[in-house]
Amino acid sequence: METLGLLLSGFAEALTWPNLLVVALGALVGTLVGVLPGLGPTSAIAILLPLTTVLPPTQGIIMLAGIYYGAMYGGSTTAILLNIPGEVSSVPTCLDGYPLARQGRGGAALGVAAVGSFVAGSLAVVGLVLFAPFLADQAIKFGPPEYFALMVMALTVIVNLAGSSLLKALTMGVFGYLLSLVGIGPSSGMPRMNVDNSAWTGGFELVSLIIGLFAITEVLKGLEEKKTAIVSAKIKSVYPSRADLKQSFKPMLRGGVLGFFMGLLPGCSPAVSTFLSYDLEKRVSKHPEKFGQGAIEGVAAPESANNATSSAGFIPLLALGIPASPPLAILLGGLMIYGLAPGPTLFAQHGEFVWTVIASMFIGNAMLLVLNLPLVRMWAKLTQVPYGILAPIILLLSVIGAYSVRASLFDVTVAVVFGGLGWLFHKFRWPVIPFVLCFILGPLLEQSLIQSMAMSAGSPWIFFQRPISLTLMILSVLLLFFAWRLKRRTERRVVQEVGEDVDLHEH
Amino acid sequence: MKRDAVRAGLAALLLVPLIAAGCSFDGGAGGGNGDGYPTKGIEYVVPFAPGGGVDLVARAVSEYASKEWGVPVNVVNKTGGGGAVGAEYALKQAKKDGYTVLADNVSSTSMLVSGMKQPPVTLEDRQLTSRIVLDPIAFAVKADAPWKDMKEFTEWVKAHPDQLTWTSVGPAGTSAFGVADWLSAVGVDFSKTRMVATTGAADSLPKVAGGHATLAVHTVAEVYPLASAGKVKILGVQAEERSPYLPNVPTLKELGIEGVNVKWWTGLTVPKGAPDAVVKKWESTLQKMVKDPAFLEKMKTLHMEVSYQDAQTFTGFVLDEAKYYTELAEARGMRK
Repeated sequence: METLGLLLSGFAEALTWPNLLVVALGALVGTLVGVLPGLGPTSAIAILLPLTTVLPPTQGIIMLAGIYYGAMYGGSTTAILLNIPGEVSSVPTCLDGYPLARQGRGGAALGVAAVGSFVAGSLAVVGLVLFAPFLADQAIKFGPPEYFALMVMALTVIVNLAGSSLLKALTMGVFGYLLSLVGIGPSSGMPRMNVDNSAWTGGFELVSLIIGLFAITEVLKGLEEKKTAIVSAKIKSVYPSRADLKQSFKPMLRGGVLGFFMGLLPGCSPAVSTFLSYDLEKRVSKHPEKFGQGAIEGVAAPESANNATSSAGFIPLLALGIPASPPLAILLGGLMIYGLAPGPTLFAQHGEFVWTVIASMFIGNAMLLVLNLPLVRMWAKLTQVPYGILAPIILLLSVIGAYSVRASLFDVTVAVVFGGLGWLFHKFRWPVIPFVLCFILGPLLEQSLIQSMAMSAGSPWIFFQRPISLTLMILSVLLLFFAWRLKRRTERRVVQEVGEDVDLHEH
Repeated sequence: MKRDAVRAGLAALLLVPLIAAGCSFDGGAGGGNGDGYPTKGIEYVVPFAPGGGVDLVARAVSEYASKEWGVPVNVVNKTGGGGAVGAEYALKQAKKDGYTVLADNVSSTSMLVSGMKQPPVTLEDRQLTSRIVLDPIAFAVKADAPWKDMKEFTEWVKAHPDQLTWTSVGPAGTSAFGVADWLSAVGVDFSKTRMVATTGAADSLPKVAGGHATLAVHTVAEVYPLASAGKVKILGVQAEERSPYLPNVPTLKELGIEGVNVKWWTGLTVPKGAPDAVVKKWESTLQKMVKDPAFLEKMKTLHMEVSYQDAQTFTGFVLDEAKYYTELAEARGMRK
């Protein structure tokens, strides 16, 4: 009850005009930044961090927080409409969002993404209010062997997203993994596979690969098809129908809950939660063959998971001062600049501040919905803009986006090269999703393996002696088995319905 | 007509944040002998991620210098390679005109050159201008660990060296040098202990708090939040005097552990060959800055200790330090 009182006083504070204004500004800037490929929450918060010297602490932090979850939301817009994920975590959203957009249902997909983000974001904030200190303590118990088992489980997603050939998918996965190894080795601290080039020593930046493989590839595909616009037919309805929402409701809840728990784990990329939740939906669906062809659940689940993950990330941040992701690390920097050292003492000493920030997250989530639903109409029109105008803008944004992450021209070159490669992959039907997934999971898997081996002095039994990692390992084996069965069943169904073998995850 | 308006609106909407982003990356070309420096924006390269210790100090410096000089001093984070990528950019690739400067620290200087036989950037590539902050190293374990202080912990490690696991970003990271220095001072075989490689303090401290590794060695500023949250316990600090932020934690010397020297510091560096006037300008400005009440207050909120050294003293300090670490690294097989 005491918590409720504190929360209400937080609302009273957050609902004052100046605070409302900065929340709205943060959410809007975040949405815009999220829409642009490459310019993610990390760069946006870093660029705007100096603002913290002007604004008072509460306003500074709620604005930066608004940018953070606004950007997480905005990343879905271009993923759905243009097949360009604004953030790494929006990659799974492309899989069904873009097919929906091409069917003229981009507005519906965007609407579902907005509602899902709101529902899951709010759920996560409720979790934050009720259980923050308890959950933060539990998250600490999750050690290297548990992370390793979790990453193994995430790898099983490949089978489900493999497309037509498992062999091709695995090859692409290995390619992605090898590329992720370039740079400084985690345990040796020495450069490896760096071809004696200092730019390679820094490793490849995921964002520039994504920009190449998705944004630039998409432009090349458009040129090849002599595309005039993404949707040439008339857009039927801009908003999701009642049936769409009904169909998406359970995926939103499932995605929200999954995303929430994944968000508690520091260092676990939000892309892992969106991939896992997409995979989960496909598994529980009665019509898995529709996934990849424009299933609305395929948009609802990962988008909800994404927002729940970003909101849940505030739990270890506020309760312990542990940032779960790079943008939260900068936000932590912002807190430190204000002298607000996170931890239980933050709740005790600066309770008013904490509860105002939490209340502002409720308001911010609601505002994102209000801001974005009217924008949906405008965004949906984007798909009718002549491609001759759209394509150069996409290329320009791609170059700036790739550059802005590390202020590096090398990353721009990488984006362009992978744009070309992506076009070849598409032409010869090599799926890029396993590539991206393994590039993300590779370093996490390696790091947790090395850490576990250091803990156990080299004994692999450590993964089977700890209850959580053992459970996750067993779950992975089961998932692998079911994924294989599901794939067979899906293929049979597609053949029955379409009468021919089609590429399930072409985009 | 209406469609044109929509298009124009869209384009404008997409461009606004771009322009905003573009504005923060000016500075660069230009040169001369440094007279009247600075006449335009300065690129202040931080070779580590935003939000870390080096970054936070650099942001405070940039704020002060921008105000003092009336030109923008922009922090640009160029991460990767344990600080080597940003350092190489600022010291070797950019123009040596003083309009690209580097936020340096112990791991991008002394530890880099002692951990690697052929480092991508050396001490000869840089002109150190001023040391700004010196943050003591704290030894932290799980909150409910059985040891009261470093003395008890050292006794335990002497008896069970093969049970000690400690975290570090790599074998040449600050934590690794801290552990090696301490173990050699107390006579424990370093090679019997095990390193758990982590990505930094934000990754390592939760691992120690959760009992997945025994010991974390980080700066006081880094350990402070989790220690005040009661999740980790600080057994001792490596400094001449107790940290003002941890008045109840004894120094290693007080506990009878002598001969440990590892320190964490950050300062400002320009490329070798930059005009003398540039070095002088930074030196005098930073000397003034460390007496500025607003700057001091900021360092206090970050739990950092200001410890200024001018270019000459600082250079001597780093050369001695690099020699010490090189010997330590060679003796422990850490030099590769």
